[in-house]
Amino acid sequence: MADTATAGAGGAKFRLRIMIATGMVMFVFITMHLANLSLGLISVQAMEDWRWMLSGVWSSVPPLKILLQASLILHFLVALGSLYFRNTLKLPAYDMAQMVAGVLIIPLLGMHVFGVMAIDDLGLEPTYMIVLGQFWVVSPLDGLQQVVMLVVAWIHGAIGMYTWLQARDSSARVMNFFYPLVVALPILAMLGYVEAGRQIIPVDEGGEGFVLENDPNAAGPTVDPDMIPGIIAQAKERPRRATQISLGLVALVLVARWLRVSRQAGGRVSVTYTGRRPATFEADTGLTLLEMVRENDLPHASICRGRGRCGTCRVRVLSGADALPAPSEAEAKVLARWQAGPDERLACQLIPREGALEVERVIEADYSNLSEARTVRDGDAPAAAT
Amino acid sequence: MGFWRLLMATLALVSFLGTADAQVVPGTTPADAPETPDPSPNDVRELLRLLGDPGIQEWLQTSADETGQIDTGPVLTLREQLDAQLARIAQRVQSLSLAWEILPQMPALMADVWNSELSHAQKVRSATYILTFLLIGLGLEWLYRQYMRYPLLRMEQAPKDAPLEKLTGAAVRAAIIFAGLGVFAVGSIGAFKSFDWHPLIEALVLDFLAMVLVFRIVMTLSLFLQAPFAPELRLVPYGTPVARYLHETLRLLAFAVVAGLVVSFMLNRVAAMREMDLGGSLAAVALAQTVAVALLVVLVTWGCIWTAFRRVPQMCETAPDTRRLTFWRNYLIILVGMVFGLWLVGMFGLMWAVLVIGASIPGLRLLQSWIDHFFDQSTAALHDQHMAEAQSTLDAFVRAEADGELQEGEPQPEVPEFADPYATVRPIVQRAARFIFLMGGVLLLSTAWGVNIFDLSADRSVLGRILEVLIDSIVALLLADLVWTWAKTVIDKRVADYEPPVDGQAPGPEARMITLLPLLRTILMVALLIMVSLSVLSAAGVNIAPILAGAGILGIAIGFGTQSLVRDIVAGIFFLIDDAFRLGEYIEVGELMGTVESISVRSMRIRHHRGKVHTVPYGELKSLTNHSRDWVIMKLEFRVPFDTDLQLVKKLIKKVGAELAANEHYGPSILSTLKSQGVRRMEEFNMVVGVKFMTKPGEQWLVRRDAYQKVRDIFDANGIRMAERNVKVEIEGGDTLTDAQRTAVAGAAQEASQGPSGPPKPIPDEP
Repeated sequence: MADTATAGAGGAKFRLRIMIATGMVMFVFITMHLANLSLGLISVQAMEDWRWMLSGVWSSVPPLKILLQASLILHFLVALGSLYFRNTLKLPAYDMAQMVAGVLIIPLLGMHVFGVMAIDDLGLEPTYMIVLGQFWVVSPLDGLQQVVMLVVAWIHGAIGMYTWLQARDSSARVMNFFYPLVVALPILAMLGYVEAGRQIIPVDEGGEGFVLENDPNAAGPTVDPDMIPGIIAQAKERPRRATQISLGLVALVLVARWLRVSRQAGGRVSVTYTGRRPATFEADTGLTLLEMVRENDLPHASICRGRGRCGTCRVRVLSGADALPAPSEAEAKVLARWQAGPDERLACQLIPREGALEVERVIEADYSNLSEARTVRDGDAPAAAT
Repeated sequence: MGFWRLLMATLALVSFLGTADAQVVPGTTPADAPETPDPSPNDVRELLRLLGDPGIQEWLQTSADETGQIDTGPVLTLREQLDAQLARIAQRVQSLSLAWEILPQMPALMADVWNSELSHAQKVRSATYILTFLLIGLGLEWLYRQYMRYPLLRMEQAPKDAPLEKLTGAAVRAAIIFAGLGVFAVGSIGAFKSFDWHPLIEALVLDFLAMVLVFRIVMTLSLFLQAPFAPELRLVPYGTPVARYLHETLRLLAFAVVAGLVVSFMLNRVAAMREMDLGGSLAAVALAQTVAVALLVVLVTWGCIWTAFRRVPQMCETAPDTRRLTFWRNYLIILVGMVFGLWLVGMFGLMWAVLVIGASIPGLRLLQSWIDHFFDQSTAALHDQHMAEAQSTLDAFVRAEADGELQEGEPQPEVPEFADPYATVRPIVQRAARFIFLMGGVLLLSTAWGVNIFDLSADRSVLGRILEVLIDSIVALLLADLVWTWAKTVIDKRVADYEPPVDGQAPGPEARMITLLPLLRTILMVALLIMVSLSVLSAAGVNIAPILAGAGILGIAIGFGTQSLVRDIVAGIFFLIDDAFRLGEYIEVGELMGTVESISVRSMRIRHHRGKVHTVPYGELKSLTNHSRDWVIMKLEFRVPFDTDLQLVKKLIKKVGAELAANEHYGPSILSTLKSQGVRRMEEFNMVVGVKFMTKPGEQWLVRRDAYQKVRDIFDANGIRMAERNVKVEIEGGDTLTDAQRTAVAGAAQEASQGPSGPPKPIPDEP
């Protein structure tokens, strides 16, 4: 059991690195793609002029293309791994939103990705004329789906970036730029999408019936006409399959996780919180203290939401300290940064063993004593303990 | 245009008790008047063409009289108006029965119109637009919230005890929260309006976005007032379970109303597009579905009222009065039913009247109890502290009694009553809030009736006149009431707080106000009464100029006749403002002196220390001497023989002065104790030693009495005699006088020295 725990911890660090790196690649891609869409506010022509620069690069330059596709697959697989290792599905709102958004992305995205690929297969340039026409005129339901996809993907990416940025030292300064960017870009993209659609829609349906100046697809599909139905059928079939595979994998991992957790469930631990919001509860061992707290719907300070970075979930262990594993290297580093006493631990890293544990929050759940907690040194016995 | 729609939507929210659907048939209610869209280029062209038409020009010329005003036909008599109203109702009932007949075919008909007017792509695109612009609005609002989170949090956590602090806190909170909604509105509706759209799609999407906004406004308002998740921020007087339940109920209700409005708007717009093709039957279709939707909304409202009145009492800690609950439940249900019924028969003016008046009755009561709660909440801390102090006093008493430390029969300490620091503010705020509430009701009603209350004088109809008189009178009455309440509470509070001076002490400066305030109150009441009655009369069309002129002439006449009375009153006010005398002071007016016993409008009453009562009109007062101000110096004299040791006298007087100052009764009132002033003058047979002391007014007599007594005693003890009159008669060669001769000479000398002795003089008065 102990081997898997350490392997899990080491693996977790590796998984995190991959997640951040691949996520970053995709965030850059989405940012550029949305910037491209925003140009629709000027005109469809402007969108088209910048298309290669902002979006086409990722599909026509081979290293970038491979990087993007590999990132997508790797990110998805590693995310499945993290899901498997999650001890509880009771997550803070941000994490929950990110997870649900992540599960939804592939089913929503498939149609657009495979559609563009099909246009390529047909020997056509995937110009915005064709894509927007598809989404606004030919099948508007798909267009509606794209708006949902845009928001879902952006929320997923933005939460990821937010979490990553927040643990940095300069986060307060960066956040001032991050917040406006995170809102402005998708809004501009949506407005560009709507405005471009308005230009594309034929005149008799209330639009402006815009036509590109020199349409590269003016000659029509260059591929053999017999293959066209096959390509179209494939473009319809592939997203369906991608959806099935991705959702199937998620379901599989959830089942596997359930099996793992139910086998792992061994003893029970009784935890007592003293201090301002006292509480006592019992929980299965194997979870971190913070996860136990969440399962019991108790408030707890935790800025990085259990990633062991911020140190705001510190607790002071009042009794039962003997049965606790020693802090890991990462935990010790965070504790040292806060100049925490020897009896203080991070709730998000602490995995209580069977028995009883009595702890007290160092930082209150509403962060009301955050500034005072900095000056508290070891030896300041809390009033509740004496 | 969009703004108007927004405004109308907000107005609709006010009447969300399930009746706002009166607005859904465009052009049938007066409330829809401002919603008329701007004229399109086509309309303008049409108007120009009509104006150029010779036939129209001729009609305009014939129907306009010499002054250029268009003749709108004879003014309708009351009977004709009644007939017209009845005819309208009959027509409405007819169209309702038609609507009832086609109700079963309605879904098919509407689906047909719906499909033929909008292509599938357009419908889906509308949904895309709605989603997109909602998301844009939400995104911007989220951004706004990120920046306002900490200011809001600071605002919420700042301790707020004084009502004004609480009010500002709540106002700032409301501003921050509702500015967020404003951002949402700009992001969704504003962004949408900045594009050009297909008219039908534009109308549909805008209706939807506006209704989402209305729904959110209702929910935000509920969150702000009820704070179902943060009891410390709650502004209404009930517990968390009730707040949560009412929040949910309100959500359901608001959703029902908003959904009903959206559906109605949408179907009516689609129907309006096709009106030309299908003729009159489509209006009936629109009416039918509007009635169906409205009925649903009314049912939901009834359900909500019914369940709320059953559930909420169970959640309250104190059991409420069942009969009152039943009464209010039935009241609300009947009110909603009546409003719906009136709307059904098409009497929209009456419907609005019933709605506004019916809602203001419970509204006023709620407002009153809410303000009470607001003040109670802010004095709760003070009240608790007061009660705790009182309890500790009582506890100490009980403990002491148990220990036997107290003497037999010592009374239990009295618990002082809690002094509410806002006792004067509370009634004023109550009245002011009521005033604003009623004015809001009047404004709403006049808007609903399509009457501009600021321009009523231009309206010459009977209804307009009556309304004008009513509104003017109500405003005058309410304003007068506001002023009167304020003045009365302030004056009464001050009079009640006044503590009359303890016997023997000089009254404080407050005494002057106590004499003035009741007078001022009476004057204010009379003035207010006259002003209100005059303005009501003037509003009613009575020419008040003669009244004013008459009052003026009468005033002059009375003024001449009662010159001295007026002089007394005015002089009295100025004496009081000068603070020349107060109740309980000892004064001297010409020949008269005594304690001021009562001060009236015209005169004052002085009681002489021997019981005589003088009544002095103020006009008679030229100058006035006040013996009771600040300090009094008293000088005493002692006659001592020429051979007295003056140093010893000084020392002895000083000793007496110290004794006097140490006296426990009048010692504290001595400002400067007895001291010797040395020899004041030399007389024929003795020296006059002067002493003086300074005390608070009224204390000097007692001190003087003791001073005389002590000085005499101490002189006596130290061998200093008081000088006595003596005559030395020197007789040349007197050694040879006989005893009989001596006696005769002494008698003659005494007579010579005293002079002719008359009757004794009266002793001057001193209290």
